[in-house]
Amino acid sequence: MRHPNQAILALHAGGDLGPFRSWLTARHLARCADCREEVAGYTEMRELLPELAELPEISWNRMAAEIKANVRLGLEAGECVRTADMPLPRASMTGWRAAVAIASVVVMVGGCLMLERPAPQPVHVAAETSVESTQDGVQFQAGDDRAFGLMNGAQKAVYHLDAQGSMGSRYIDRETGAVTIATVSYDVQ
Amino acid sequence: MMFSKFTNRVVLAGLLGVATLLAQDAPLSSSSVSFDLPEDSPIAVMRADTGTSRQIARGAALVLDLNLSLTLRNISSNRIHGVTLRIVSQEVAMGGVGSVFQPGLNVGPGEAFPVHISTKLMRPMQMSGAPVLHVNLDGVLFQDLTFYGPDKLHSRRVMTASEMEAQRDRMALKRVLARGGNPALTDAIFKILARRQALPEVQGRIVRGRALTNAGLAAISPDRGRQEQFAFLRFPDGPIQLIRGSAEIAGSDARAPSIEVANLSDKAVKYVELGWVLTDNDGHSYMAGALPSSDPAFSLPARATATVRTANTLEFSTAGKPLSIQKVTGFVNQVEFADGKVWVPSRQNMDSNPLLLQVIEPSAEEERLANLYVMKGFPALIEELKKY
Repeated sequence: MRHPNQAILALHAGGDLGPFRSWLTARHLARCADCREEVAGYTEMRELLPELAELPEISWNRMAAEIKANVRLGLEAGECVRTADMPLPRASMTGWRAAVAIASVVVMVGGCLMLERPAPQPVHVAAETSVESTQDGVQFQAGDDRAFGLMNGAQKAVYHLDAQGSMGSRYIDRETGAVTIATVSYDVQ
Repeated sequence: MMFSKFTNRVVLAGLLGVATLLAQDAPLSSSSVSFDLPEDSPIAVMRADTGTSRQIARGAALVLDLNLSLTLRNISSNRIHGVTLRIVSQEVAMGGVGSVFQPGLNVGPGEAFPVHISTKLMRPMQMSGAPVLHVNLDGVLFQDLTFYGPDKLHSRRVMTASEMEAQRDRMALKRVLARGGNPALTDAIFKILARRQALPEVQGRIVRGRALTNAGLAAISPDRGRQEQFAFLRFPDGPIQLIRGSAEIAGSDARAPSIEVANLSDKAVKYVELGWVLTDNDGHSYMAGALPSSDPAFSLPARATATVRTANTLEFSTAGKPLSIQKVTGFVNQVEFADGKVWVPSRQNMDSNPLLLQVIEPSAEEERLANLYVMKGFPALIEELKKY
């Protein structure tokens, strides 16, 4: 089955497709649960957007008002400095001028968003190493990397924790029958 | 034709996968292990078997799962009472150095003894054919407490302390035998086995380099922990007095323990090891570990004071549940003087403290002798005690 692309589904959710395309998409949706789900998602998002605009933390409205005010101020300032006999410029919002203007607006909006957002706070810096006694022996972990088993588990082993960064295990060795103390350290010796 | 190409690709990918798996887990050959003993070493390697040892690739690291069986011979003229082997997969890698210490040895000149190395080490992956594991001698302790070896792992102190504990506990059992005969000795051995069996299990985790922002600390522990003062057990004949100490306790975490100690003796001290016992909400106590003065620069002149501390965080759990630490108790476990002599608590000190009897495991020698009784019976135990 050939599925409509995301743009078609999004336009369909907003009722923005032409009659024939809309009929074709509706026909496909009647048979395709995946695309129906996709369209439902777009519809939900559309319903949510007006609410987002009113969220006090983001202050979209204040930002828009400030941008409008700045544009008006710029226009009025231009009127003040323009001499009467100065020829009116030709349609100015074309070509590279339009590109520069759009880029400026993007930078300004981006800057506002950056300033509005609170600085991210690192909650937990996990650059740590650890050794841990477990029933299967001693586990070593460096940072967020996977853990490595160090020292094999032994029956009835007694583990010794040294607060400076090593761990030992005392056990009766099955092979020799002798008391054996094995130690691993993550200190560089 | 297309299908044939696809099949070929699948077969090729499968072969590559199998080859990769094989390369990730391979037996450790005897040529991968190097035994580096000095020319004047008091021991010699008679036999080395890599057994089921394997090297397993884990990402960029190689895990060596070692199961080495060695036979060593005493080629010196003294009786050997302890040997520590240093096992190195990489000197400057975390998790790259381990050791195996066999206490309770009593090996005469010319006699052979077995050592089994069962441990895991890590090292970075390498493609060259050089040995991936080096077995060095860190130290040999003789009957007269003289020592041989480079002592990179402080095995002189560890083995001397162990030997002194062994002498202490053998003497105590001999006294029991002399006073109460065979029934009293049997009773003493049963008590050792019962203590070993009843030992409360606690899992510990040492965390280094933990850095928390205030927000992170509050998220983990809203009350940011509390500064808990250590309670102390005092031994009348001890050369070190514990003055004051504290650790930041937050739930099952103990952070940055620090204890101020005073040297009561007339000799300089170069190492102090403090044992610490944790008591939880329900009143159960656990031997948590040791706080050693591992700083090589640590020095405590005669009649002076110093502080033993670590910046590490220690976490404890029992039966898979975090331990709720209510109380911390410290005691002096071991002292090494500048002249190399070592002090350990006397049997009387240990036996007169119910808390220590409850949480401290039997010594290595007690465990060895109790195991001998279990495996070979009472006559073998008596014979063993007569040897010393």
